[in-house]
Amino acid sequence: MPLLMRSLILPPADVRSHEAGSFLAQLDDQTERLTEDTRALTPAALAWQPAPGLNTIGMLLAHIAIVEVFWTQVGPLRLTAYECESVLGIGVDDDGMPLSEGGLPPAGLAGKDLAFFDDLLARARRYSRRAIAALTDADMAAEIHRTRRDGSAHDTNMRWILYHMVEHTAGHYYQINLLAHQYRIRGA
Amino acid sequence: MAPRLETLLEAPPGFRSPAVARFVWQLDEQRRVLLDDTRGLSPADLEWQPAPGMNSIGMLLAHIAYAESHLSQVGLEGKATSDTRAAIGLSEDEEGMPLAPGAPPSPALAGHDLAWFDALLARAREHTRRVAMTLTDEALAREVHRLRPDGTERVFNLGWVFYHMIEHEAGHHGQINLLRHLRRNPGAAS
Repeated sequence: MPLLMRSLILPPADVRSHEAGSFLAQLDDQTERLTEDTRALTPAALAWQPAPGLNTIGMLLAHIAIVEVFWTQVGPLRLTAYECESVLGIGVDDDGMPLSEGGLPPAGLAGKDLAFFDDLLARARRYSRRAIAALTDADMAAEIHRTRRDGSAHDTNMRWILYHMVEHTAGHYYQINLLAHQYRIRGA
Repeated sequence: MAPRLETLLEAPPGFRSPAVARFVWQLDEQRRVLLDDTRGLSPADLEWQPAPGMNSIGMLLAHIAYAESHLSQVGLEGKATSDTRAAIGLSEDEEGMPLAPGAPPSPALAGHDLAWFDALLARAREHTRRVAMTLTDEALAREVHRLRPDGTERVFNLGWVFYHMIEHEAGHHGQINLLRHLRRNPGAAS
């Protein structure tokens, strides 16, 4: 029987802004595919480093969750102080990124299984979903000014933040697939 | 004075639809950072594989251009099939993906320099932009039905096509950056 593959970016019904909902649908598509592609990963695969100084899949998964919470706070929630421990149970630096040259993965992620990382991602999405769903069309044009950790200024807008959440997830998701491939064929 | 970073996603002029224009802004921003990150790569860097059967940076750049050209033809234009050879000078076979286990990079890409890949990407974007400028807001909801060679029916809308072009380039850009990092760490190759 022929198969049917449907790929439609449709904003969820419970959002106030169609445009914000489109970004949310894009994030959900990323998560659905990321989840599917990571099902077979063991704790050893999640903690595997191609070499010292390089990220593990586990670090990347934690990083995706942390960054999603961070940008939700900067953009949709318009906070001026940022933390993710109350949302995820881990802090902003607990992904260990950026790893120093020759660095090893953070001890806090050692031995964690896929369920741990799934939970981080699910918590991040619950948090961002609530905030993005509340955005109006007028909010989408809002400009946001913040001071970065290094003291430099960042002038951005809500649209860029939502776009960045999607492209950031995609970049690391594809890296995870590359690392998983490299892990499978290592030593071959 | 402290340094200042500005990232404002805005609709560029010249498009019939502001929503389509914003998608093209995102594509162009992806391209800007991809080009930034690939400056200085030599032909040897571009065809380096971490291990046989793994994609090279050159293959990924070619794949980004090929996929964009294919998607803009069958997705945005609604053509039954694409002719990427005519549009950008590269066919599906020549881009070489997916690579068979243990295979070397696509021979069609051997020895090409960065300028060659840049031109490939530029031709794909030029076509996408030309088509996108004609699209209306309503076109984003238009559904396209395609029957694949394996009998699968594929249904997508134009909003998904733009999203997929963006996430596809972002994702492979992420892989290119990882390959650059692996290339600098010889011990990391399989």
